[in-house]
Amino acid sequence: MSTNYMRATNTREMQLATFAVGDLLVGLEIARIQEINRQLDVTPVPKAPVFVRGVINLRGEVVTIVDPRTILGLPPASITRSSRNLVIQSGGELIGMMVDRIADILTICSSTIAAPPANIQGVDGRFFKGVYTTEREIVVLLDLDELLLGRDFKDG
Amino acid sequence: MSSDDAELIAEFVVESLEHLADVENQLLSIESAGGEIDVDLVNKVFRAVHSVKGAAGFLGLQTINHLAHSLENVLNQIRNRELTPNSVSVEVMLKAADALRQLLERVDESNSVDVSIHIRKLDLIAEHREEEALAAIAITRETTTVVESEMRGSAVTPEIRTSLVVVESSKATVESAHEANEDDSSSNAKSSDESVGSGRRGEGPAAADLNIRVPVAVLDRLMNLAGELVLSRNQLLQTLATPSRLGLESAAAGLDQVTSELQEAIMQTRMQPIGTVFGKFPRIVRDLSAKLGKQCNLVIEGREVEVDKTIIEAISDPLTHLIRNSVDHGLEMPMTRQANGKKPIGTLILRAFHQAGKVRVDIQDDGAGINPAIIKGKAVEKRLITAEQAASMSDREAVRLIFAPGFSTAAKVTDVSGRGVGMDVVRTNIERLGGSVDIESVVGNGTTIKITLPLTLAIIPSMIVQSSEHRYALPQVNIVELVRVRTEELGSRIARIKSYDMLRLRGSLLPLVHLHQVLGTHSVKRSADRPMHIVVVETGQFRYGLVVDSLHDSEEIVVKPLGRHIKQCSYVAGATILGDGHVALIIDVAGVAAESHLKNNEIEETKFEEVTEADASDNLQTLLLFSNHPTEQFAIPMSLVSRIERIRSEQIDSVGGRDLLQFRGQSLPLLRMEALVTAKAPEKSERVYVVVFDIRGREVGLVTPILDDIRRVRGAVDTVTFNEPGIAGAIVIDKSTTRIVDLYELARLSNKDWFGEEVHETRRRTVDRPRVLLAEDSMFFQRQVCGFLENAGLEVMTADDGQHALEQLLDGLDVHLVITDIEMPRMNGLELCRAIRAHDTLRKLPVIALTSLAGTEDIQRAYECDVNDYQVKMDREKLIASVRNQLQLVGTSLVEQGVRG
Repeated sequence: MSTNYMRATNTREMQLATFAVGDLLVGLEIARIQEINRQLDVTPVPKAPVFVRGVINLRGEVVTIVDPRTILGLPPASITRSSRNLVIQSGGELIGMMVDRIADILTICSSTIAAPPANIQGVDGRFFKGVYTTEREIVVLLDLDELLLGRDFKDG
Repeated sequence: MSSDDAELIAEFVVESLEHLADVENQLLSIESAGGEIDVDLVNKVFRAVHSVKGAAGFLGLQTINHLAHSLENVLNQIRNRELTPNSVSVEVMLKAADALRQLLERVDESNSVDVSIHIRKLDLIAEHREEEALAAIAITRETTTVVESEMRGSAVTPEIRTSLVVVESSKATVESAHEANEDDSSSNAKSSDESVGSGRRGEGPAAADLNIRVPVAVLDRLMNLAGELVLSRNQLLQTLATPSRLGLESAAAGLDQVTSELQEAIMQTRMQPIGTVFGKFPRIVRDLSAKLGKQCNLVIEGREVEVDKTIIEAISDPLTHLIRNSVDHGLEMPMTRQANGKKPIGTLILRAFHQAGKVRVDIQDDGAGINPAIIKGKAVEKRLITAEQAASMSDREAVRLIFAPGFSTAAKVTDVSGRGVGMDVVRTNIERLGGSVDIESVVGNGTTIKITLPLTLAIIPSMIVQSSEHRYALPQVNIVELVRVRTEELGSRIARIKSYDMLRLRGSLLPLVHLHQVLGTHSVKRSADRPMHIVVVETGQFRYGLVVDSLHDSEEIVVKPLGRHIKQCSYVAGATILGDGHVALIIDVAGVAAESHLKNNEIEETKFEEVTEADASDNLQTLLLFSNHPTEQFAIPMSLVSRIERIRSEQIDSVGGRDLLQFRGQSLPLLRMEALVTAKAPEKSERVYVVVFDIRGREVGLVTPILDDIRRVRGAVDTVTFNEPGIAGAIVIDKSTTRIVDLYELARLSNKDWFGEEVHETRRRTVDRPRVLLAEDSMFFQRQVCGFLENAGLEVMTADDGQHALEQLLDGLDVHLVITDIEMPRMNGLELCRAIRAHDTLRKLPVIALTSLAGTEDIQRAYECDVNDYQVKMDREKLIASVRNQLQLVGTSLVEQGVRG
C-alpha cells in the first residue's frame, strides 16, 4: 500500500503536523487529525492491551487513548505539561494518540519523501511510510493504519 | 429516471411494503377460516393488493402490476364466495405475496424479473384448477429456484430456501405424505432451517430498518421541549450574568426538568410495538407444525406493547428459537395428545405485557411439559451436575438446567431445533440485553417460558462502586443485595474454602470476588475500622459477592460503546460518563465471574446444618430489620420490598402535608412510621433510607434512618400484644421485641384515596373477579398472603385450617382455586388436598400448596397428594404467577388491576 501511495502522490504538496514521540520527530498528514487537546485525565482500563492508556470523555463520546511509544517499542510516556492527545479517525472510531510534544506544521512536496530505512533509532521501519529531512531534523512519516490496525493486535 | 420519479418510486415501495406487511398473517387467517369467509378480512387484503397494483401501473412497473393483478383476481373470487380458500390456494397466494415483496425490495430490476410461474399458478387457482396448480408447484420447483436466485443475485437467500420449504410443507398437508420426494425434501428443509433463525433478521427492506415512523404528536412535543431547552439555557446564561447569581437554583432545576422530559420524549420516538416481531410467528408456526405433522394454534396477545427499537431487533432471534422449540419439543403429535385426553390441536400462547417497568414476554404451550427426571438424567450423563446434586435438586431447578451450556433437550437431534446450542445461547442473548429468562413446566400440562426485558437498552440504572481509585458502574439488574461486614465480624463471617473467600450469608456460603484482584489493580489498604463492602450479584449462572472499596450513589447511566482495542476485556460491558464528566467502566458481572474462574458447581451454595433443620419449621421467613428510633426495631418481610434507596433528607419534598420524593422522573409518596403507628420520631439525620414497595401497582416508600440487618428468623409471631392498624405482629429477635409492619395497612392508613378506587373496583368486579380460598392457620401469614392476593385482583375467602376450608367447600362455597398452607392443626394442607381430590365435584379444583421453605421432600410429598403447584409463602411474584397460571388452566383469567394500567 505504501508504495502505491508513493507513486500516486509523486508531485503532491502536503501538510504535515509534526510531534515528538520519545526522541523521534513524527509527521502525520494534517487532514488525518481531527483535533488536538490536552485532556490528559485518562481513566485507565485494567487488563487492556499495554499500549492502551485508557479512555477519556470527548464531549460525550468515550474515546480510547493509545500510547504510540509502547507500540513502537519505546518505554511508556510520562505525562508532562507538553503532552497532548491527537484525536484521529481510524477504523470507524475516534482514537486519541498521546504524544509528548506538538511541533511545527510543515508544508512539503511529496516527491521529497524518501523511503524509510528498515530501522529508525531502534524502531521497526514498518510503522513508517517514509522519511523527510529538514535542515536540522529528520521527520518520519507515520503509517497510522499500521500503527493502529497493525497485525500485532489484530486479534484484540 | 428523473429524481422526482425516483422519489415517487421510493415512496411507493415504502407504502406498498407497509400494505403487504400484514398480508401474510391475514392470508393465514383466511386459510384457517376456511369456508366461513370473513369478507371484511378478505377485503382488507384485496385493498392492500389493489393499491399496490394501481400505483405500480401508474409508475410503469409492469411485473408488479401483473402479479398484483392476478393475486387480486383470486382474492376477488374469494370475496365473492366463488372460491373457497384452502391450503393450496393460500399457499399459492402466500408465495405470490412473497414474490411481490421481493419485487418491491428490488424495484429497479423488477421489470426484468420473470414471475410468470406465480401468475400462472394464481390464474389456475382462479380458474378452479387447483390440481394443476399443485402439479405446477411440484414441477416448477427447480425453475423457481433459478428464477428467484437470478433475481436475488448469485447468493441463495434464506427467503428463497424458506419458500422452498413452504412448497414442501404444503405438499405434506395436501397429500399427507409424499414418500417419493422425501429424501430430497428433508435435505432442503434442513438447509432452510439453518438459515431461518439468522436469515430472518435481515428480512424486510432496508428502508424500513433505517427509517422509523414517529407520531406527529411526539414530534410536536419534542419541538416544544427543544424550545423550552433554549429558554432554560437563556435563563441560565442571564442568571450567570447577574453579579448576585440570584435564581441560579431555579434555573438549574428548570433545566433539569426539561432535560428529563426531553430524554423521555426522545426515547418515545424509539418505541415500537412488539407486534412487529410477533408478526412473523404465525407463518413460522404454521410451516413448522405442518412439516412436523403437528397441529398448532398460535395465540398472540399484547402486540401493542411498546419497547425500544434496539430491543425489538435483538429479541427477534431468541424468540424465534423459543417458538420453534415449543412447536418441536413442547407440543405432542395429535395422536399422542388425543391419547392423553387433550385436544389434538395444541395451543401456543405468545403474550407480551408490561410488568413493573419492564416488558414480559411469555411463551406458553399446552404440550407435554418437561420431565425433570429426564433432564436430571441427561445433565448427569453430560456431566453438567453430579448425581448427588441431581438428587438434592428440586424439580424447578432441574427444569432450569435446560439453560445450562451444552444441554440439548431433544432425545434425538432434529433438524428443527435441538442442535445442542439452543437454550443457553438464548439465555445468554437475553441476558446480554439486560433481561432474564425463566421456565416453568408441569409434566402433561405444558411449559411456560418467561422472558423479562428492559424497556430500553440505552439507559440502565446502575450502582456506582469504587475499587482502588476508580469508579465502576454495576447494573442494578445484576445486584441482589448489598452486604456490609464490620471489621469485628470479618473473622466470623468470612471463611476460606479451597482458594476462595466465602461469605456466610444467612446460613449459606457465597463465594467472594475481589474486584481489585480481577482488575489487577492494587487495593487501597482498608483501614482497620472500615467495613467491607460486598455487592451480592447474580447472573444466570453465577451468584457471588463482589468486594469493592466503597459504594457511591445509584445513577441512571447512558451506555457508550468502547473502542476496538478494549473489546477484549471480558469484564467490561461498556462505558459511561458520570455526572462529573469522568468515564466509568460498566462491569459485566458474568465476565468478572469468568475472569476469576468461578465455576458453577464450586459456587453452589453450601447449606449449613441449621438451615436443613430450619426447613422443617413452617414459620421461617426473611425480614428486613430497621429502626425508626434507635430503641425501637421494626421488620418488613423482605419479599415485599422492591428495592432500597439511600437519599439525602433534603431531597424529600413536602407538598400539602405529604412527603414526596422526586425520583427518576416520578414522584414517590413516602410514609413515615411515627405518623402512622405508635412509634417514636427518629433523630435528625442527613441521609435516610427509603424502602420501596409496590402497592396496587403503585410504588410507595417507607422512610427510615437506620437499616439494621436482613435476617432469616423463625419463631411465633405475636399478633395480640401490639394490635394496632399497620402492625401485623411482633417477634423476638436477639432478645429484643421487633414489630412487623403491615405495609398494605400502612399504605391504607396513609392514603385512603388509593384504596378508594379499590372499593369501587371491588363492587364493580365482584362478579368477575376470580375467587380463591386461602387456608392458613397463622394469622400473620393469612393477612400477608391475603393482602397480596387481593392486591393482584382476586377475591379471597379465608379458612383458619384445613378442616375449616373443607367445611366451607362442602357447604357449597364456590371458588376457582384453593391455596393452602401445609402445616395446620386439625387437618393439614396435604390432607385437605387429598380430601378435595377424593370428592366427586371438587375433584378438579386446582390447589396450590404454600410453605415457608421448599425442601425437595416436602415438594415431593405435596405432588404425591396431587397439588397443582407448590410455592414459597412469601415469594409474592412467583405465587401470583402461579395463581395466574392455575386460573388460566381452569379458564378464568386474572384481570390486571385498573390502577396498574
